[in-house]
Amino acid sequence: MPSIYSFFRYIPFVVEGTLWTISLVLGGLVIGFFIGLSLALVQSFGGERLKKMLNIYIWFFRGTPLLVLLSLFYWAVFPSLGLELSPLETSIAVLGMRSGAYQSQIFKDSINSVDYGQILAARSIGMSNRKLISYIVLPQALRISIPAWSNEYAVILKDSAICFALGVMEILTRVRYVSTATGLALLPYLFAGVLFFILTFAGTGVMDFVYRRAKIPGMLEGLR
Amino acid sequence: MKVVIKAENVWKKYGSTIALRGASLELREGETKVIIGPSGAGKSTFLKCLNLLIRPDEGRICIDGEEITSLKADIIRLRQKIGFVFQEFNLFHHLTAVGNITIGLTKVKGMSKEDALEKAKRVLKMVHIGEDLWNKYPAQLSGGQKQRVAIARALAMDPLVMLYDEPTSALDPGLSSEVLLVIKDLSERGITSLVVTHEMGFAYEVADTIAIMNNGRIIEEGSPEEMEYMKTKEARNILNRWNGMKNGVLA
Amino acid sequence: MGFWLEFIPSLFMGLLTTFELVAISAPLGVTLGVALGTARVYGGKVLGSIARAFSALFRGFPLIVTLFLVFFGLPELGIYLSPIISAILSFSLCSGAYISEYVRGAILSVDEGQSLAAESIGMSKLQEVLYIVLPQAIRRAILGISNEIVYMIQYSSLAFAIGVQEMYSVARTYNSLYFKSFEIFSLLAVIYLAITALVTLIFRKLRKRIEPYSDSKAEFIE
Repeated sequence: MPSIYSFFRYIPFVVEGTLWTISLVLGGLVIGFFIGLSLALVQSFGGERLKKMLNIYIWFFRGTPLLVLLSLFYWAVFPSLGLELSPLETSIAVLGMRSGAYQSQIFKDSINSVDYGQILAARSIGMSNRKLISYIVLPQALRISIPAWSNEYAVILKDSAICFALGVMEILTRVRYVSTATGLALLPYLFAGVLFFILTFAGTGVMDFVYRRAKIPGMLEGLR
Repeated sequence: MKVVIKAENVWKKYGSTIALRGASLELREGETKVIIGPSGAGKSTFLKCLNLLIRPDEGRICIDGEEITSLKADIIRLRQKIGFVFQEFNLFHHLTAVGNITIGLTKVKGMSKEDALEKAKRVLKMVHIGEDLWNKYPAQLSGGQKQRVAIARALAMDPLVMLYDEPTSALDPGLSSEVLLVIKDLSERGITSLVVTHEMGFAYEVADTIAIMNNGRIIEEGSPEEMEYMKTKEARNILNRWNGMKNGVLA
Repeated sequence: MGFWLEFIPSLFMGLLTTFELVAISAPLGVTLGVALGTARVYGGKVLGSIARAFSALFRGFPLIVTLFLVFFGLPELGIYLSPIISAILSFSLCSGAYISEYVRGAILSVDEGQSLAAESIGMSKLQEVLYIVLPQAIRRAILGISNEIVYMIQYSSLAFAIGVQEMYSVARTYNSLYFKSFEIFSLLAVIYLAITALVTLIFRKLRKRIEPYSDSKAEFIE
């Protein structure tokens, strides 16, 4: 049985993986944000045909396992488009496209929860669709989205570990190396679990803080 | 007097229900007209058609001589000539009382922030909203206060005419009068107004003309004094039913 | 042609393994979830805290980490499990932790008046929970539970990482042997999409049969 102390000198190496994990998560969330918001806006204000097409996108990315998506895009889709993307780039792109499908639902719900009366009122004072979306609907919808968004963060954080399958140097991939190098398993994997745990709470804590700061005074807690 | 709104033969269908069956109306500058009629008569739909919040299936509506129902019409610009006050207030939840008013001034009219703020304060005073409420959010205001802010929001855009869609129906009886007083006050200052309401006392007291609506069209209209001499039986029936409510709400 | 003749049967065997994983883990996960959820509400100080910690832990760890812990870590404690058993255990723990959230929420949404009524006809706390609260709570939680099972189908592909020969694992092996990534992984995507669609449909039918008997119409509206 190898000594557990041999693990300790690898701790910096593993912790460094946090940077990679955060890149995956933030990259995925940001790409997902723009995709999700665009999808939701089209679904709320766009034409029927476009909606149908976007539904196929959402259905595809929600119904296919992340592992399959990663493999499909890494080995098939991106190369056939002539894109030479690294495992990290591919993972961020895939996490983003997939998160976009989930985030579209978040934004769709929150856009729908802005009552139609306010849209009528905005029209009545002469706002165009573009203006009423940016000044009336989105400022409220984005606030309402924060709790669900914080949940999406926790989900994508945990999903980012799956990118070990492409060898992205995030936390789990490093822990696997360490496990092989030291012959230990329980301690390194527990350590990885705890890191993810901490990252989850740190992230959702920040979101909670933002949500409290952004809350509209006098509004009930669960607005929707 | 110049005609501010002219609606001719407006029809609107929702599936198999017909909400408007050839409604027509004319509103002159400085005039205050009250539309009354049973629920389901199409009053609210008609009012929303006038600034094209609802697009009618048929008919012609002119605002200040320009046809808003024309497919080429610049609806965004024409809507600014019409102030609209909703039954449910429809204030923007994420903005303060002042913010609700300045957003239209800055984003639609392109006014500077300072000018918009000055203007907002002026109209809020007109609807008797004191300084203590200026920075409150809608959720922190009472129903009557919300509706007065909503009136101020519409008023700030300097419309040619104010439309009120049952402005007191969502309010507790005690709160109606503060809103009705504001509407009366504005009307007396010469602001052209079109009011849909169930408040008969208000109608008799403030209206220059009362229009009776039933079954998707205006059936008859006249001054409050002429109400006793309505020509059609349909109009007399409606009036009889409503006269029971003719006690001065503003008294 | 030779490729497909080899690949399709192997993939089918993989599909059976995937099915085996889910068919065993799902009922275990639901049972665990109901137990945990109930313990979180009625468990009192000790049992309640254990259930809370348990569910927080397995919701906080990525499933893949749990999987590695069980398969590679437990042997250090003298517990040796086969890849398939490790996968089943991990999936059940993880989905149980998530399902307990829905069950807990559903239990709390059963109104207190019913508890009082149950007490008034002389039911014990246990009887009240078993016969009055849980039957309603499970109905209310069914949407969340069915979502979790759909997720489990997708995440069952992670079992490849500990050497379970399920669908993804088969596809990955073939991908490394032949240069047919596009065919292999799009077919795999289609199969998962079809399974997801099928299972979603089944659950929708099931919900339609169950939900009208509960008074929570909220999910229907909109």
